[in-house]
Amino acid sequence: MKKNIFISIIAFLTIIIIAGCGQKDTAVSKESEAILEENWEDIAVLAEETEVRIFMWGGDDGINQYMDEWVAPNLMEQYGVKLVRTPMDTHEILQKLMTEKRANKNEGTIDIFWLNGENFKNAKENDLLWGSFAPNLPNYLAYIDGESLDVNYDFGTPVDGLEAPWGKAQFVFQYDSAKVANPPTTFADLKIWMEENPGRFTYPEANDFTGNAFIRHLFYESVGDIEMLLENGYDAELANASSDQMWSYLNEIKPYLWRKGETYPQTLTDLDRLYSQGEVWMTMGYNEARAVSFIEDGIFPETTETFVLESGSIGNTHFLTVPFNSPNKSGALVAINYLLSPEAQLAKMEPGMWGENMALDPTKLGEEHQQHLATLDRGKSVLAAEILQEHLLPEVDSRYVEWIKENWLYEVVQFNQ
Amino acid sequence: MRWYNSTNKKFLYLLPGLLFVLILVAYGLLQTIIESFADPKGQGLTFANYSRLFEQKSFWDSLVFSFRVSFISTVIALTIGIVVTKFLHEILLKKSWKLLIWLPMLFPHFIAGYLILLLFAPSGLFSTLASQIGIIDEMSQFPIIVMDRQGVGIILTYIWKEIPFVVLMLLPVFAQIDNRYKDVVRTLGGGKWETFRTVEWPWLFPVVVETGLIIFAFVFAAFEVPYLLGATYPKMLPVLAYQWFFEGNWSNRPLAMASMLLITAMIMILATIFFYLLQKKRYRMMRGN
Repeated sequence: MKKNIFISIIAFLTIIIIAGCGQKDTAVSKESEAILEENWEDIAVLAEETEVRIFMWGGDDGINQYMDEWVAPNLMEQYGVKLVRTPMDTHEILQKLMTEKRANKNEGTIDIFWLNGENFKNAKENDLLWGSFAPNLPNYLAYIDGESLDVNYDFGTPVDGLEAPWGKAQFVFQYDSAKVANPPTTFADLKIWMEENPGRFTYPEANDFTGNAFIRHLFYESVGDIEMLLENGYDAELANASSDQMWSYLNEIKPYLWRKGETYPQTLTDLDRLYSQGEVWMTMGYNEARAVSFIEDGIFPETTETFVLESGSIGNTHFLTVPFNSPNKSGALVAINYLLSPEAQLAKMEPGMWGENMALDPTKLGEEHQQHLATLDRGKSVLAAEILQEHLLPEVDSRYVEWIKENWLYEVVQFNQ
Repeated sequence: MRWYNSTNKKFLYLLPGLLFVLILVAYGLLQTIIESFADPKGQGLTFANYSRLFEQKSFWDSLVFSFRVSFISTVIALTIGIVVTKFLHEILLKKSWKLLIWLPMLFPHFIAGYLILLLFAPSGLFSTLASQIGIIDEMSQFPIIVMDRQGVGIILTYIWKEIPFVVLMLLPVFAQIDNRYKDVVRTLGGGKWETFRTVEWPWLFPVVVETGLIIFAFVFAAFEVPYLLGATYPKMLPVLAYQWFFEGNWSNRPLAMASMLLITAMIMILATIFFYLLQKKRYRMMRGN
């Protein structure tokens, strides 16, 4: 008797699972392809009075404020599109999409999300993205330099129109000018400074985006020839052969790091906390204007300034994309197009908002916007645009990010244990 | 409807709950098992992920570290818990005191970990106090307790959180102990230690083992506290698995699945061994030897 019931349970379960997996909604995907063929006016009409859900990292108050208090009301007013922001880390978004893909769920909950680098590579390789929409956007055509490398390649992966550039950021160091009179200008200088001020510097783990960028910059120095690194793409042999200088540098500074390099901050947030508490005197980050809002909020000391090393500062572009199962693709297109408009991009640059550099080509802007750009004061802790431009280094293939993660653990953390 | 008799009826009532467990837990576990054996290149099943896992130095270091942290936390929490209950159980059975000792149970583990961080960090409350009083000259002289390679911060958090749990488990046992046995020991000339060893300990033992096992399994598989208070290296296994699962390189995901399965297996083996030993002990107690 019991056996019978057991069998019926199993049968019941099987039916549920099969029923759950079997649904394939071909109608939806057909309709979504067609949207790209519509002309822009029709898309805008379709999008009216709909809700667009954007999922993005929510760890920065300035960014959230810009989205909620500037973008959302303006988008509502001009296009009748309601923007709903959900904070979620990008890797979790990809996980969610991956699960939905497996379950054949063609009507998801995300219309737009924010991504970059290896996340884009994973999303592209696993077919989690909708299609080549970016070149269809009017503002993309009007204001973005469609030829430039940083728009066409995201960490070495061809973009193919699957994502639209949203902003640019550059790597800078922050320091407390009350404690550090002359910030170092080279990596050699930085090492001398660490020896003189033991325990006052550290960098986030290589698993952290910022920590990895710091090490990548050292990698550039170690290889020497950045052009070659870019042209050859990913080359593990080259990396192994020319990284001795980087590993020995990282091991040589270990005794002078915070906690003598026994442990590293897990994330940039942890490093920022150490900096704000005065445990370390320098922090860093992939946004040249990041200190502005921290100073305003009293998290960083007023005397915080930024610097870049003479050998340069890595910069990259980050993007917006539409997932394969977005329920409101026309709305997503209208919202992304609006986020690429000169008004939205210039507002994003305001120090009180996000403070981040725009993705648009400044030479393509109209006169009025050009003037606005010229008079924009990004805050005193932000380096001058010329200095930033002069030091800008491109990103390399994203597989180097992984390579650094794995080898850092072996070469630096486990070294001498 | 012959199968609808009283035994099956109970079973039928359980069905919704059982289904729930089966769908959520069993399906998840099955998926994990499949992915841990999935061949990274093709469709078949293979042990490749496990052999890759066993080649990782970080896996072995994490395993040893996890084991040590869980073992130390469990033993200390149990010892303090037993001592506290033994000497205070009469007071603790009153309601107001019970509340006080159970206060730490109200906090989630993450909050407890954060409290430890705020108190014991080199720029934390105790360090600031010590430097103001003049015990240490500079905040950096304060001993490193959080994010340390020995896991002191993690252990502290779990001790603080689990002692009340031990007390909660042991209080009813102390309340049940027949005090006439103690009188017997005393009449026969036994001291306090003898009383504890011969009267209280046999009652306590099964519950202590059970409680210890629960705490050990909990700490061994915990994520949030070691994530907050752990060092870069070695990481506790669940943190390492999380990292493998969520990092940009998805080729390490099978490693995460394999290591989580191993954690589950280890806890289940431990539980089986202890329950087997306990069963024997209970049997002997019943017979009165």
